[in-house]
Amino acid sequence: MKYVVRRILALIITMIMVSFLAFAAFHIISGDPARAILGMNATESQLKVLRQEMGLDKPFMVQYLNWLIGFFTGNLGISYSYRQPVSELIAPKLKVTLLMVLISFVIIIVCSVPLGLRAAQKSRGRLEWLRTTIIQLCMAVPAFFLSILVSYVFGIIFKFFTPGDFPKIEKDLAGAVKYLFFAAVCIAIPRIAMAVRMLKSTLIEEMEKDYVRTAISRGNDRTEVLKKHVLKNSLVPTITFLGQTMAEIVGGSIVVEQVFGIPGMGRFLVASISNRDYPVVEALVVILAFWVILSGTLADLINQKIDPRLKLGGRA
Amino acid sequence: MKKRKWNGYLIAGAIITTIIVVWILVGRFYTPYPPTKMSSARLQGPSLAHLFGTDKFGRDIFSRVMQGSGTTLMIAALTILIGAGIGTIVGSITGYFGGIADEVLMRFNDALTAFPSILLALVIISILGSGKHNVIIALGIVFIPSYARMMRTAFAAQREVNYITSARLMGASSARILMVHMLPNTIHVLLPALTIGFNNAVLAEASMSFLGIGVTPPDVSMGYMLSEAQGMFRSAPWYALSVGGVIALLVFGVSLIGEGIQRMNKEVD
Amino acid sequence: MLEVRDLHVKFHNRDREAVAGVSFKLNDGEILGLVGESGSGKSVTAMSIAGLLPRKKCSYQGEVLVDGEDMLHAKRALLRKVQGNKIGVVFQEPMSAMDPLMKVGRQVEEVLAIHTDLSAEERKKRAIQALTDVELPDPEAVYDKYPHELSGGMLQRSMIAAAIVSRPSLLLLDEPTTALDVTIQAQILKLLKKLNRKHKISMLFISHNLNVVRKLCSRVIVMQRGVIVEDGLTYNVFFKPQHPYTQHLIECIPARVKLIARRSMEEENASVDGDQAAGEAGKAETAVSSRQAGNTVKAGGEHYD
Repeated sequence: MKYVVRRILALIITMIMVSFLAFAAFHIISGDPARAILGMNATESQLKVLRQEMGLDKPFMVQYLNWLIGFFTGNLGISYSYRQPVSELIAPKLKVTLLMVLISFVIIIVCSVPLGLRAAQKSRGRLEWLRTTIIQLCMAVPAFFLSILVSYVFGIIFKFFTPGDFPKIEKDLAGAVKYLFFAAVCIAIPRIAMAVRMLKSTLIEEMEKDYVRTAISRGNDRTEVLKKHVLKNSLVPTITFLGQTMAEIVGGSIVVEQVFGIPGMGRFLVASISNRDYPVVEALVVILAFWVILSGTLADLINQKIDPRLKLGGRA
Repeated sequence: MKKRKWNGYLIAGAIITTIIVVWILVGRFYTPYPPTKMSSARLQGPSLAHLFGTDKFGRDIFSRVMQGSGTTLMIAALTILIGAGIGTIVGSITGYFGGIADEVLMRFNDALTAFPSILLALVIISILGSGKHNVIIALGIVFIPSYARMMRTAFAAQREVNYITSARLMGASSARILMVHMLPNTIHVLLPALTIGFNNAVLAEASMSFLGIGVTPPDVSMGYMLSEAQGMFRSAPWYALSVGGVIALLVFGVSLIGEGIQRMNKEVD
Repeated sequence: MLEVRDLHVKFHNRDREAVAGVSFKLNDGEILGLVGESGSGKSVTAMSIAGLLPRKKCSYQGEVLVDGEDMLHAKRALLRKVQGNKIGVVFQEPMSAMDPLMKVGRQVEEVLAIHTDLSAEERKKRAIQALTDVELPDPEAVYDKYPHELSGGMLQRSMIAAAIVSRPSLLLLDEPTTALDVTIQAQILKLLKKLNRKHKISMLFISHNLNVVRKLCSRVIVMQRGVIVEDGLTYNVFFKPQHPYTQHLIECIPARVKLIARRSMEEENASVDGDQAAGEAGKAETAVSSRQAGNTVKAGGEHYD
């Protein structure tokens, strides 16, 4: 229990640091938000009124605290380009991205676990070099190139979906999932290759440990050793990897959304960066960073349940 | 120490990488056609005259890719130089001396690694503005934390090793110990990390330029070309295929080298 | 009970045979020492007996008979029935030989789960009994501990408990005390001797340290480069070594330790003779003198091991 509390405390501290860094960075670069909203023709008195309204006349730390409170109460400020609350703008887009990331995550787990087990079993086989080469190739193909191919082959030739015409989640959930599935595959493939590689080396490493010999000396055969001992021992690095994957695929989604024309968070982020719409960029950056920190913490908490040694603070 | 033997992965990777790099370097000085010259031979498929075909302005894709990959290669190389260089300096100092500086830098590192790498690069670009040099700076900064962390571990592990202690007793300066005694012993960790970092840099640059927030015209890079190619994928699929193929082959070659080095290290152990 | 006949093992990636024609017998209730430096083939011999040879990576011939059945060429199914059940094995590093994520108790009773139909409660009862047999304080608490929560000595006791929980007739001890410090080492040796007397378990004790073997074993085999160079009663091997290699090993032991050893062994021999002559009455005496021997040895060992 103590470990959990400590870990969550560390989580909160990192979140505060990250949000402070982001806020400070955007505070410096965004110049005068009042002018950004009202445009070059605004008069000085108009600007003054808006600045007061937005709290821009207050000291920096007060502004940060206001923003942080706003962040957790859903008040993320006003978009420069849309003149709408940021929270209203990004909520539907977050939903789309979240759905895609989850589909992708499921694909990664479903594919990589059996493939990884097989790769570990056959690691001394004659075709080992071929397997390694395929894995390296899958990691080498850029996600957006893959996306172009997939959207062309499955969208335009086979017409499984219409690229650029993303159905609304509320209206046609099945259609949206089908559309997102192909994008999710493109995000997943390089990660699957990495996962298989990681699983393979972890399992092989574990199989060579002394406790495996002990287990065999007790009358287990290799499959039983795998089930009773090795799998559990391989779980910790695997969960850590999955935590990182959870974080990485959100980054990967940015490009893939662009190619598939998915109205998600990544595409919105890129557009907002181009428009210099800082309140939106700021909110998205902090949300993404929180997502990364949360995945890492979640992985650590699960690992600590699996491996009691971690409680001693080895990695906390 | 056993003799290090080159393995199949290393040889294959070295061959693929060398061929592509030489091809790209040649592209700095010579291309079959001027890369930006338009002609009436539009949207032609691959042929002997145009190995990768032409785009809708009649430009020779082979020449364009040859030159565009040069930009990508240069950006990736400089990125790694910045990332690994500064990362090694920071990591070696914090790892060797430890103490408060170590604590503070590593916490800062933690905060930085909380941002997905492409996101961090995008944020920095949104601050600096796009363009070739800013991409290098942005990606360079993005890569520093991971190298710093890795090198810190590698250096800290050596701090109490006997020959380091004896070097210290003999009065060697810290700088000398770091450079002469410790750095060469971290090579086996650094080399595979360099190959992985290089590939990540290639892919990150390509992603950013593809999104239109990386390299901007008149500079042309792989990512930019791919976004161009996506627009004409129906009429000239060979464009996207050749650009994507060259990126994939370059990354593949380098990652084979990485795999080869790792296996070589394992054998020596 | 155990008989090894002309055992040859050669690993594919080595030029020399690891074991080049080894034959010996282990009688019921005997503690046999197997001594040699690393690379002498002693561990490979033990692995062949326990059925732990990586069969794909080596070629082997000869026979390893456990109660008349050949283990060397046995099918996996037969091997499984013997492993853990008839033969218990204790390895060198207790910390790495245990699954770090499984509670000690579960590992102790693993053999029972594989080989018997006992219910979970019965298994737990037997496991706690075994933990008591190896003289662990508070065996119930140890049952619920993870390996990292125990000291090296306690872990090695737990490993021994796991090896004897199914009452095997043979215990293979592959350098079980090498990783432990000297005081713990002496305690473990004493425990092994006690278990041998109490449960009539035969033991094959492998070590590179002749002095440790001397404290425990009645008979010693010395191996060098895959062959047996000396085989005899411990006393004889220790004080009248025949082979130059053994003589060299003995020479390496400091004179004072040898003196202490001679005294304690002669004492012991006398009591064993008494045991045979006087039957039950002599047994108590043996126990006493062996304890004395243990104490003396401990004092000597601390300085010279």
